[in-house]
Amino acid sequence: MKSFLANKTPYFFIAPAIILLSLFSILPIFVALFISFTDLDLVGIADWSSISFVGLENYKEVVSDPIFVKSILNTLFYVVIGVPLVIILSLAIALLINFGKARIFKAFRVVFYMPSITNVVAVAVVWSYLYNPHLGLFNHILNLLNLPDVPWLQDPIMAKISLILLALWRAIGLNMIIFLAALQGIPKTYYEAAQLDGANNWKQLTKITIPLLRYAIFFVSITTMIGWLQFFEEPFVMTNGGPLDSTTSVALFIYRNGFQFSNFGYAAAGSFILFIAIIIITLIQFKIQNKQQDY
Amino acid sequence: MSKNMFNVFSKKFAAAAMVGTLVVSGALAGCSSDSGSEKDGKKVINVWGMGEEAKTLPKIAEEFEKENPEIDVKVQAIPWDQAHDKLLTAVASKKGPDVVQMGTTWIPEFASANALMDLSDQTEKYPELAAENFYDGSIETTKYEDKVVGVPWYVDTRVLFYRTDLLEEAGYKEAPKTWDELRDAAKKLNDRGDDKYGISIDTNEQSLSFMLARQNGSKLIEGNEAYFNEPEFVEAVEYLNGFFKDGSAPVDLGLDIVQAFKGDGILPMFISGPWMVKIINDQAPELEGKWATAVLPAKETNTSTLGGSNLSVFEHTKNKEEALKFLAYMSKSETQVKWLEMTNSLPANKEAWNDKQLQENQYYKVFGEQMENAQPMPVIKPFEKIAQDFLSRFEKIYRGGADIQEEMDAFDQEAEKILSK
Repeated sequence: MKSFLANKTPYFFIAPAIILLSLFSILPIFVALFISFTDLDLVGIADWSSISFVGLENYKEVVSDPIFVKSILNTLFYVVIGVPLVIILSLAIALLINFGKARIFKAFRVVFYMPSITNVVAVAVVWSYLYNPHLGLFNHILNLLNLPDVPWLQDPIMAKISLILLALWRAIGLNMIIFLAALQGIPKTYYEAAQLDGANNWKQLTKITIPLLRYAIFFVSITTMIGWLQFFEEPFVMTNGGPLDSTTSVALFIYRNGFQFSNFGYAAAGSFILFIAIIIITLIQFKIQNKQQDY
Repeated sequence: MSKNMFNVFSKKFAAAAMVGTLVVSGALAGCSSDSGSEKDGKKVINVWGMGEEAKTLPKIAEEFEKENPEIDVKVQAIPWDQAHDKLLTAVASKKGPDVVQMGTTWIPEFASANALMDLSDQTEKYPELAAENFYDGSIETTKYEDKVVGVPWYVDTRVLFYRTDLLEEAGYKEAPKTWDELRDAAKKLNDRGDDKYGISIDTNEQSLSFMLARQNGSKLIEGNEAYFNEPEFVEAVEYLNGFFKDGSAPVDLGLDIVQAFKGDGILPMFISGPWMVKIINDQAPELEGKWATAVLPAKETNTSTLGGSNLSVFEHTKNKEEALKFLAYMSKSETQVKWLEMTNSLPANKEAWNDKQLQENQYYKVFGEQMENAQPMPVIKPFEKIAQDFLSRFEKIYRGGADIQEEMDAFDQEAEKILSK
């Protein structure tokens, strides 16, 4: 206590952030936890006395809901395909841009970053035209090459891949910037030493650059993973979960139950399962990271 | 690192936080909204309008203000897809508009939450609100249990839109009158060649199958009982699926309906509501004289769906009298005719239908005729959930080739489970 009083000043500075954070981020999470044990619906919101406690009923029901199970599988599909692709592509692009010395490469940063700052709804509208089976540019190009139409958003598997392509295009920019910053933080002396020892470009990349980007890769993989686990906007705007619920993500499932059907308790139970899954997966990643040796 | 991670959590941890925030915002209520405020001695009422109509609503509110100079109407336009969320917040915080436009299918949900004022004892003071002024089907959508929670504003009903020239080539001088004729016409039109179809069936349109089932004599839902696996309903689904099966309706065309309707007529027939009249006239003026509307083809009946919007007074309003005055004004037949001129919405007021425009316009006349045979979707709280469940099962049928009877058995069970809650 004494030390707390002596060191009041830092708490004073972080107080606004802490208060806002707990009021609008942490408190709602606890409220949602409470809601997940109740049968809260619209009537309950208007009149709190009509809410009744149902224990684990919502959880039991949600894990046996076939659409929820399907949405988990879909989300895993997004994560398993999407996360490695984002890391590999954004790293590759960052390396290329970093490698290039001409002025034009500065412009490329903007080109790749642009999708990240564009409104997702506007993007989705344009892409749904690109994917359009009848008028779409993609199918038009395929036809010009004498290839058959691809059912971009109409086939259950293809629709997932199409959404991944779109989200990938959006995600590359931000992660590329992170990688670029990390790349420029690597001291030039390492490369000079390696060159004196006769290491070629490939050796320099695999023995110096990639190992030293370890923290950046770790950061990108965790944030991307969480992002993909909460994949929402793209299926919401482009496919609304179809065809045959094949693009429904967990977040979309939660949204639909909460805000379309006003089943708040049920939706909160689903969101808690997602919350716990994200925490577990993140902890596993931290564990793996800790095991690796440090440079 | 961990701080950055927390940013991700707090930024995007969507649903849990959103639901939580909703409740918290309810608890924190009192810091928002200016309902009940007065401006220059005028009472201010807030009106929430939704979708396209809301853009024209201020014009008619001006006319109302001219007649009632002591009231100032503030219109807020809300897109339909955000309206539900916004109303939820209003209910939770008990702070909202004074008058709100309600889609007919939302009435039971918000009425059960006691968010809409009971208007049943107001008809003496405001005779405009009385039930006998409106079509019975519309009145049905304003009732919840023994309360009247809204007043019909405008209605829409579905009719058949078709290309007269193309149907004539296919041997139909008049619109198809029965299910069999519609089927036959669609097939003949489909035979015109590749990339040409007979009819458009909107698979996101939840009321279509329910409407056809009713034409086949299905009761749909009665109390907690669902009739979705009875032959009447199953036959309707089979009939609808038939169009996909023989290719006379495309599954994924990806074309805007007007684009497909004009020119060669990729889709020369479709079923839709009154708003399409203006859209076709605006976007395909060259089609004039080549298309028409007709009442729906019949099986046992040709019952159509009755939709539209109602106006309700928000339960927690502080300007009850002013809000009711606005409702009464909007329900007058003259106002409704004016509204028709402004937006092409069909009046719910029966008297307004005697207006020349509606009587002489060939398109509107058809809607009037169809209104005699139109029923709203079941006015029950979980209807949205049941309808969504149906749509996903129907998708399994037309896309995945699932067995219709089996799907409908499962659907019936699920629906009864939802109903008994």
